[in-house]
Amino acid sequence: MPRRTSGLAALCLTGVLLAVSACGGGSSGGSDGGAVELRFGWWGNNDRAAATQKVIEAFQAKNPGIKVKGSYTDFNSYFDRLATEVAGGRAPDVITLGGAYPREYGDRGALLDLAKTGLKTDKIGAAALDNGKFGGVQYGVPTGVNAISLIVNESVFEKAAVDLPEEDTWTWDDFKRIAKELAQKLPKGTFALADPTRTDMLDVYSRQRGEALYTADGKVGIGEKTLVDWWTMTLELMNAGATPPASQTAELITQPAPEQSLMGRGQAAMQFDWSNQLSALSKAAGQPLRLMRVPGESGATQPGMWLQASQIYSINAKSEHPQEAAKFVDFLVNSPDAGKIILADRGIPANSDVRTAIQDVLGEPEKAQATFIDALTPKAGPPLVIGPAGSTDTPKILDRVNAEVLFARQQPAAAATDFVQQVGTAIKQ
Amino acid sequence: MSERLHPPETSETPATTVSPTSTSLVRTRLKDRRPAGHRKISGPPRDRIGYLFLTPWFIGMALFTVGPILASLYLSFTEYTLLKPPEWLGLDNYREMLADPRLHKSLLVTFVYVFVSVPIQLVLALALALLLNRGVRGLSFYRSVYYLPSLLAGSVSIAILWRQIFGKDGLVNQVLALFGTEGVSWVSHPDFALGTLVLLNAWTFGAPMVIFLAGLRQIPTSYYEAAQVDGAGTVTRFFHITLPMLTPIIFFNLVLQLIGAFQSFTQAFVVSGGRGGPSDSTLLYTLYLYERGFGSFDMGYASAMAWFLLAIIAVLTGINFLFARRWVFYGG
Repeated sequence: MPRRTSGLAALCLTGVLLAVSACGGGSSGGSDGGAVELRFGWWGNNDRAAATQKVIEAFQAKNPGIKVKGSYTDFNSYFDRLATEVAGGRAPDVITLGGAYPREYGDRGALLDLAKTGLKTDKIGAAALDNGKFGGVQYGVPTGVNAISLIVNESVFEKAAVDLPEEDTWTWDDFKRIAKELAQKLPKGTFALADPTRTDMLDVYSRQRGEALYTADGKVGIGEKTLVDWWTMTLELMNAGATPPASQTAELITQPAPEQSLMGRGQAAMQFDWSNQLSALSKAAGQPLRLMRVPGESGATQPGMWLQASQIYSINAKSEHPQEAAKFVDFLVNSPDAGKIILADRGIPANSDVRTAIQDVLGEPEKAQATFIDALTPKAGPPLVIGPAGSTDTPKILDRVNAEVLFARQQPAAAATDFVQQVGTAIKQ
Repeated sequence: MSERLHPPETSETPATTVSPTSTSLVRTRLKDRRPAGHRKISGPPRDRIGYLFLTPWFIGMALFTVGPILASLYLSFTEYTLLKPPEWLGLDNYREMLADPRLHKSLLVTFVYVFVSVPIQLVLALALALLLNRGVRGLSFYRSVYYLPSLLAGSVSIAILWRQIFGKDGLVNQVLALFGTEGVSWVSHPDFALGTLVLLNAWTFGAPMVIFLAGLRQIPTSYYEAAQVDGAGTVTRFFHITLPMLTPIIFFNLVLQLIGAFQSFTQAFVVSGGRGGPSDSTLLYTLYLYERGFGSFDMGYASAMAWFLLAIIAVLTGINFLFARRWVFYGG
């Protein structure tokens, strides 16, 4: 059952490949009765699909002349599919992006300058809005605000009779101690956490030491020493049984859906993840989960956590209907009606009016997210330096090098050198 | 075999057995056999009609096959990021390939995959064909059953099934658990992941098996009878009659399966979640090509890789044909 999404995604992907090679019909032009048809591409699970469909229907009810067709896959296949579609000149009119992707596509001329479409952004938080702005061009608007966090399953802690961490003061040493304690007391098959190595965590860890994954002028910023310390810690966790064996970790990274994660299956006490994943993970686990700040923030050179646009809506530069597309994006980010359907699924809404409007309809996990983001806002570190073009390869490079480390094929020191060198090559191209 | 006894010249006398509707066809066939002088009169218009009927195919071929092939040759000398027009680079892409460690790794993975899975597949195919050729009851049923994997194995669904079978909580580990052993996630362990793909490819022995079966049927039973009279045992008959008579079929299957295996993509893509992992242990050449093209927007480099793959397959097939003279036996 949990594999269904990845299967669907793979099928969709093959479908796209076929569609591209066959160059079938179905243009986005509005030939039928003057109705304009827009395509909207995004990633996510079935719950998000249901909500997105509702938003589309609400938009269409208000704009009878515009029809919107959604198309989605899971996160891992989304960008492969998008690249294929862009290559075939058939990318959606409204494209969901995130992280370094707006820059990746924007710098290559694939995205529209939203300032020129007259899209209103005055109610959207400046920090998040900046995440869609590169070289002075507004390539995208944020769907909501997000932060990397530690998601905790209290009932697993209770079962193991281990105390929850002191989230304001805990250090990485405390984290290691707690994880190992959990490992000793938890039943077989349940872990303290999944392997924590992911680019977002390298961001946090290096920022706490006054470094960053990328420097402002677009170079690799993380030190090899930092990487070695990180991997020394994760290896220690794995060998203590706090994280799963290497082969299980390798299997988990190919299944990005919340329902397939250890946390989503109720098999982990903790998981580093984006705060907006709280709702999906709680639902999957069938248990209330809570958000906590990551370890090491208080004693750090600077706070590692930051506020980030969870996702970015962009408009295809080749869209035949940029005005209508802008209207749809405006509805998505600025309309309280849309906000009441999407809630906090794509982050806490960046538009302050929308945020006020939805306050009363938020469920428990969403309220927890809003509280978490509000509490973090004064304590967050400087905005994240988003990677240059080519940096979207970094997660894949990290997965590869991390596997080398976990399978004991490479020492942390050699892996660190390798990682820095490979990322350097990727962003130079 | 009996057809061979009648040389084709006998086609002048088929009128008695042919139904009225097909007489015109027979007549045109007869015309073909007329001396060259006559052909000049009736040939060209008929050829034109023939070509006319072929035009849709020619257009399709030019637009969807030859065109893209030539375009990719051009692109292989450029930097092409999909979104901007290609920029001429000359041989830079090919030069980069020489120094690209991941490319070398993917070549190694592909060669291991091809040269382990194809022999296993062919031996299995031959063994089963021999078994089925002994006059098994319900032959057509078995033939279909064994052929089924060949139809299915290239599909996404089977690759997903494979993930399930060889995953952490998969069928294999459940069986192992019965014996008290705890298995790893076979598809996600660098030492075993490629093995599961090799197994998947070997499992598609059905297609070569059907061809072997047809080949076995072609061997005259009189050879075996004669050998038996001379006192040859089963093993001798296999090595001295079956195998030599079958060499053209073995050669055909070998060439076909080698070319096919070099281009495997779907299984590795799905089983490794599109990444060729863990740590590049299942990074087939085609997977890396795809990653460079569609993951890193390096269409120029991906095109160069595609042409290099073509060269590899061409050279190997050439070598195959060269050596074929030494071991392939085309009948006395």
